Amino acid sequence: MIEMTPAARERLDDYLQRMRSELRGTRSVVADEVEQSVREHIEIALAEAPGPIGATEVISVLDRLGPPERWLADEFMDRIRTAPDDWRLAYLAFGMFLLSMLLLPAVGAMLIIPAMIASRAYVELARDRGEPLGARRWLVYPSIAVVLAIATGLLIIGPPLPFMAWVFDHRRYDQIFDVPHSEPGRMRFIAGFGAVVFGSWWILAAAFCAAFLRSIRFVFAPLLDGLRRQHFAVLAAIGAVVAAVGATLIYYRY
Amino acid sequence: MNDLSFDNWTTQLRKGLLELAVLNTIADAPLYGYEIVRRLSDVDHLVITEGTVYPILSRLKNSGLVDTYLEESQEGPPRKYYRLTARGRDDLHRMNQHWQSLHHAIGSLRKERKR
Repeated sequence: MIEMTPAARERLDDYLQRMRSELRGTRSVVADEVEQSVREHIEIALAEAPGPIGATEVISVLDRLGPPERWLADEFMDRIRTAPDDWRLAYLAFGMFLLSMLLLPAVGAMLIIPAMIASRAYVELARDRGEPLGARRWLVYPSIAVVLAIATGLLIIGPPLPFMAWVFDHRRYDQIFDVPHSEPGRMRFIAGFGAVVFGSWWILAAAFCAAFLRSIRFVFAPLLDGLRRQHFAVLAAIGAVVAAVGATLIYYRY
Repeated sequence: MNDLSFDNWTTQLRKGLLELAVLNTIADAPLYGYEIVRRLSDVDHLVITEGTVYPILSRLKNSGLVDTYLEESQEGPPRKYYRLTARGRDDLHRMNQHWQSLHHAIGSLRKERKR
């Protein structure tokens, strides 16, 4: 077993997961067998590289192997296709998406979830058949993108917004914290408090999302197929900077 | 023929030939997957993405045309060798004959065109 850096291991795991997803459901190919062969290929290709193997070396081998999505599409997709192209589920997903937009806010908000589930089901179905989505992506991506945008918004705002609203309601913060009476000092405190709360939340949220990276990628596939832990590291870093700025503002509030 | 049509044509051609090429690669002696891929990659325009070969090997095995065995290696992990079965050898013989006749047929058409 070759030794790899965590980044290289993550790249390889991601690649193998994509490969399993592509090969799943194909009748003529045993996915486990292909995975075992691909692992052997990678180990032999990297056997003479000095360890631990970095992401660059792994990526170079994976690039030569090519995207698993093309293996079947290029070579024998026609033979394994189990049914002709079926656009019905894609149309249904798009129809529900349109309806949800027309019936905003209350009913529409409830309809967007089944629209997104239908879209994801269609994406998985296409992957199982080894079919590229092609033009059908225009029917299934919108609902996934809208739910992703809502989820991202909730992640950014999170609990801090209602918490801030509660604290600042009727100037409740005056009773809890030592707040200056001057207007500039009060403003500095409010800005600093908000920055600390939001910054800390982003650090926590980044850690949580990094821990559940695979689940998040799965739920929002294929839009988040390229999501990496590094993206959450950036969010955590931004949170740390914002929280530090906020703490400074609070410290120098007088 | 524009570039897109030509690409499509070469993809279709490769589809049929890659299987024949894989079987011919292991016709003389069993080889492990990486070595098969390496040999096929040396042939210009035959293998665009190396990974394509592995689903083909899996399917050939499921069809009973090849079988596999593991052999320890001193230079890394144990290697899975692919070899032709008796049925695979028969099929390969027929496929090669068919390919030869097609090759001759296309060759004679070209000769006629030159005259």
